[in-house]
Amino acid sequence: MAEGLLSLAPGRRKSNLLAMIVLAVTVALIIVFSIAVDGFATVGNLRVILSNSASLVILSCGMGVVIISRGLDLSLIAQMVAGATVFSIMINAGAPGSLALLVAVATMVLVGMMNAWLIAYVEIPALLATLASAMFITGLFRFFILRGEYLLLLPKTNPAVIFLSSELLPGVSAPVALMFVALASAWFLLRRMSAGRTIYAMGDNFQAARLSGLPVRTTTIIVYVYAALAALMAGLVMSSASGTVDFRTVTNGTLLFEVILVVVLGGIPLRGGRGGIWNILVGVALIVVLRNGMTLLNVTAQTQDVVKGVVLIVAIVTDNYLNPRDTETDTVGDL
Amino acid sequence: MTPILELRQGTKLYRGVPAVKDVSFDLRPGEVHALLGENGAGKSTLTKMLAGVVAPTSGEILLEGRRIELPTPADALRQGIAMVYQETSLVPSLTVAQNLYLMDDKPFHRLRGIYIAGQQFLQSLNFHVDPAALVSGLGAGQRQMVEIARAVHHNAKVIIFDEPTASLTPEEKYQFFALIGRLKKRGVSIIFISHALEEALQISDRITVLRDGEHVVTDDTAKFDRERIVRSMVGRSLKDELYGSQKDRKARKPGKKVLSVQNLSMGRAVRNTSFSVFAGQVTGMFGLIGSGRTETAKVVAGVQKRDLFHGGNVQFEGRPVRYRVPRPAVLDGIIYVTEDRKFEGFFETMSIAENIYLAALAGGQTKSWTISMSEMKALAQHWAGALNVKAINNDARVIELSGGNQQKVVVATALLQKPKLIIFDEPTRGVDVGAISEIHQLINRLADDGIAVLVISSYLPEILQLSDRLLICRQGRVVEEFEGTQADEDTIMFAAVH
Repeated sequence: MAEGLLSLAPGRRKSNLLAMIVLAVTVALIIVFSIAVDGFATVGNLRVILSNSASLVILSCGMGVVIISRGLDLSLIAQMVAGATVFSIMINAGAPGSLALLVAVATMVLVGMMNAWLIAYVEIPALLATLASAMFITGLFRFFILRGEYLLLLPKTNPAVIFLSSELLPGVSAPVALMFVALASAWFLLRRMSAGRTIYAMGDNFQAARLSGLPVRTTTIIVYVYAALAALMAGLVMSSASGTVDFRTVTNGTLLFEVILVVVLGGIPLRGGRGGIWNILVGVALIVVLRNGMTLLNVTAQTQDVVKGVVLIVAIVTDNYLNPRDTETDTVGDL
Repeated sequence: MTPILELRQGTKLYRGVPAVKDVSFDLRPGEVHALLGENGAGKSTLTKMLAGVVAPTSGEILLEGRRIELPTPADALRQGIAMVYQETSLVPSLTVAQNLYLMDDKPFHRLRGIYIAGQQFLQSLNFHVDPAALVSGLGAGQRQMVEIARAVHHNAKVIIFDEPTASLTPEEKYQFFALIGRLKKRGVSIIFISHALEEALQISDRITVLRDGEHVVTDDTAKFDRERIVRSMVGRSLKDELYGSQKDRKARKPGKKVLSVQNLSMGRAVRNTSFSVFAGQVTGMFGLIGSGRTETAKVVAGVQKRDLFHGGNVQFEGRPVRYRVPRPAVLDGIIYVTEDRKFEGFFETMSIAENIYLAALAGGQTKSWTISMSEMKALAQHWAGALNVKAINNDARVIELSGGNQQKVVVATALLQKPKLIIFDEPTRGVDVGAISEIHQLINRLADDGIAVLVISSYLPEILQLSDRLLICRQGRVVEEFEGTQADEDTIMFAAVH
């Protein structure tokens, strides 16, 4: 049975040393912060960490699935804001929450399909296709729908908005619940569905996947639509927490960087085919602990960015050191 | 006499699997040393170690008696060791002269200067190549000349040729041999990998034979004949067993016409080719490298797209088809078994069972949208058993298997998709001897079962032994057709090169 379980997890066999090291570093950081920082090791802070990390986890699930299929979605944050905008406009226009959600989901499915169509059918590299669609989406929503505004306010009294920031169970707020929904759906897609098998196959060897007749085009659609829906979830969490939809999240770019950071730190290589939910969790844990600890230490946002950049470089160097490349592995073509 | 280049107890492991095991090899100054062995015998790996392309896992390399390290091919070149590859390593978008002077340690070159110098240099070698011509416009033979010129230009003391004659016409081959003679006179030592035994016997001074990554014999060429080389290469007189029985074999009668290709064109690779494939027999397709065999097959299977205008037409089971991606072709029953299994044949992070299960998903043999572990296990057990895949268990990764077993897994994934037309591209490349006969039996069994089989191979004995009908390709088109049992090696070769 143990073997059976092992073969359910194709990504688990390689490149996990990095994940183990990142985990060890995280544990070490937690210990250091607990000793050195007042108020780090408290239940209250844990709750803050959990709800602050909800949107990052949800976005990382979307990005993780895309990267495992050897894709990349640079339009994820733009999609997130776009989804939240559609939802907010519907709410502001007086539509009930369910209808607003339905319209937002439909929009996101459309956006995801557009990305997938560019990548799978027009055969534009994912990097360029999603870069273009990120600009397209941001421009479209900001100038045609918001008329140049970058902030959209949400009425905090609307029942839908209240629901999104309420506690569903004692200790489990709606954002945390959505986070678990994202994790569970990503796990189910990757590990249990036939489409997940194809996702790993595409990341492992795209030529072979295409040649053997796997539905690579259909699966690309599934992947990018999943990413778009994850972006919508993250957008709902973020905008209901702050009461605003802020387009500056797209333009300052840190969130996109953090999402990619999480995925790569967790041990999912950009060439795809390896890794899973576990890796996403490991990557998020490091970033969130680092962010929280530094904030409690009153480290400025700029210094935090420096630290994150250094962490990424150290991780990549460590990975290269652990998995040295020779001509054999080079032919696989890392990104 | 001190050997100019020597490898002592060299071993190279790829992921723990030895490609070369404890081989010692020496090259004397001014000799032509032929390196022979079957596919996968370790010839390429051995020479790549000497040229600094791969680092030996253990063992040492000595140049003129002193130990050297060769971390990169550029270091090897600086030491005077150059390698001329089968697929050329020239930059196609640069001119001949630019390629010649590419590796010189000079920040700038004056174009006119290098054209003049290049002209003089090429003439001194008696090469008739225009130094201002783009490499992308040259033929295979001329490209090889440029490669050789480049090696000589770098004052190489040792030049390693990897299958230099595979893509040359007889005339070019003759010139090439003359060139080897001239290089020898200049005191250059040459290592020469080849499949053509006659060539090795003709031009080499000594011969080394490798088998399964191990050293078998090194001796003066005068002491070898064809028989002895073959025996050393395969270990026993297996060649007759594998390829000898074609004379008393009856060709199968053609069944229904399954595939009919008319005036198919794709870029420069496939030019206006027409042929048919029939059910219940093996159609062989022979041609030299660059004759467009693989490309033709790939267009039929939807891997590549034919030309939009004047692309010709393809009829499968009497119905015109035009596939843009392989999936509809697979679902229709056209399965292409690739020649390059590492690049596009299997999934290296996955086990045998997962590879087989994916093929079932792709071919629609498994319809479920969630994964069924029991089905995966059953499929793997059935197909690994049917094709006699040797592995510890079906959870072993495909990349860890031997070449023959990897190929069996790839073939299994093709067979379970229920092909009506199956195309084998170089079915036994890099496959160990034992598995070759198993794969041949399998191909014959498929034809007996009424499936249309197309076999592409550049190994003449194989194609002669397998095919009931033979198509010969040259320069992107099928130029001649034989009944399998009529043709002999000479007529086929003549058709392929002229």
